[in-house]
Amino acid sequence: MAGHRVAITGVGLVSPFGGDAGDFFTRLLCGESAITYLVANDKHCPRAIPALQCSHFNPKAALGTALAHTMDRFAQLGTAAAFSAWRDAGFSVDDNSDKPDCGVSWGTALGGTLTFEQGYRTLYIANQKRVSPLSVVMGMHNAAASHIAIKLGLGNSCLTYSVACASSAVAIGAAFRAIRGGDATLMVVGGSDAPLSCGVIRAWEALRVLASATAATAPSACRPFHRNRTGLVLGEGAGALVLEQWEHAQARGARIYAELAGYGASCDHTHLVRPDCTGQVRAISQALRDGGIAPEAVDYVNAHGTATREGDSTEIAALKTVFGTHAPKVSVSATKSMHGHMLGASSAVEAIITALSVYRHTIPPTAYLDDLDADCAGVRHVTGQPQVDIPIRIALSNSFAFGGSNAVLAFRSVAQDMWT
Amino acid sequence: MDTLQLIRQFLSAQYGVAPESVSLDTPCAQIGIDSLVLLELIFEFESKYHVPEPKDDIAIPATIADLVALFDSLVADQN
Repeated sequence: MAGHRVAITGVGLVSPFGGDAGDFFTRLLCGESAITYLVANDKHCPRAIPALQCSHFNPKAALGTALAHTMDRFAQLGTAAAFSAWRDAGFSVDDNSDKPDCGVSWGTALGGTLTFEQGYRTLYIANQKRVSPLSVVMGMHNAAASHIAIKLGLGNSCLTYSVACASSAVAIGAAFRAIRGGDATLMVVGGSDAPLSCGVIRAWEALRVLASATAATAPSACRPFHRNRTGLVLGEGAGALVLEQWEHAQARGARIYAELAGYGASCDHTHLVRPDCTGQVRAISQALRDGGIAPEAVDYVNAHGTATREGDSTEIAALKTVFGTHAPKVSVSATKSMHGHMLGASSAVEAIITALSVYRHTIPPTAYLDDLDADCAGVRHVTGQPQVDIPIRIALSNSFAFGGSNAVLAFRSVAQDMWT
Repeated sequence: MDTLQLIRQFLSAQYGVAPESVSLDTPCAQIGIDSLVLLELIFEFESKYHVPEPKDDIAIPATIADLVALFDSLVADQN
């Protein structure tokens, strides 16, 4: 596809591990899980589940008292991640001068759900007559993107996408197209979600897709592709990247982690929650075609891999369909085994992992994959140890959402000429 | 607690505004009191003193003295 090439020049996140993106990636290479056992002694809604909390995150320290006060937690996490990515790209968060060629493209599945739940508690449990006057501006889905644009002076488009678990992949894809087409020079992209409210947890429990575990087994609760996998683990977090027109990045001497080379999106149009191989194949194939990429050039896939029974096997079937005889050579890992499922933030966090894998020629493993499900065989699963010093020409990041929406991002190594 | 003290406490706790920077002649805009902060202050004041919220739209007062006068008038009206 003709147009501007798109460089990834900054990454930032807020994760349950604490630390920056580099720390996060190192923990993943070690196969370390951030999953803990969440016990909330809430008399109205006691809960105890394996989950991922960003307990290290201090909103006031990251954002200042005033900004933190006016945000739902999903926006706090997102803005902090965006600031981190912005600094990583070599910019100052204190510079909010007008930047009309720079914008925001954000994803969130649930937006300010904690704010609305607090409102319901105020009304129906505390029997108050009113809620905080900030409820609307804290709860709205585009709050995180708006705060990021205001603080950084980003005057191009500021859009928020809510496409369940593919939200931030869609946001990244849309920004990619905007830069490629010349509508923007630079975009802050990513996603954030803070789903650990009573109502959200109860809703996911009712759907019967959450992993079961005890306090002792919580770290290994999420086991994608495992014969005995039991489901996903909910988590909160945020991931952000700076996408930049290639020439612009080169002109200012920016570090380029990878090229965002292709984007594919499709809809299964078959069922709200049952994944469909054909729809996933369409999205993967479109991402390859979009980037002018031969299937044989793909060395790594960061899988959607949520550890649901049907989701994992369907994804592997899709990969085998797309890659054919090349499939056994494609390294695949599902890092949700360690950072859990951050819903609308997951795609952004996994895009960061994929970009860093390409940049460092290193692939994190799927943790706890010691008994591969026969239905998930046929690709080169990365288990136990990371794959290090391997040539990654092209890597993909898959995101498949409830509702049947699929989004796939393709990353090209800046050093790919070295590998060919 | 007097009205000025309540305003200082709220702005310090929620917005990190140093109490000593809030005096009667301080312009509201200077310390970031916009329409949203004003709404929060009205809610805070109402919950502390149980005065009814103003029914009409309220413009952002020019200074803290004007804000104090507004809140004090609500109490006076109630009495």
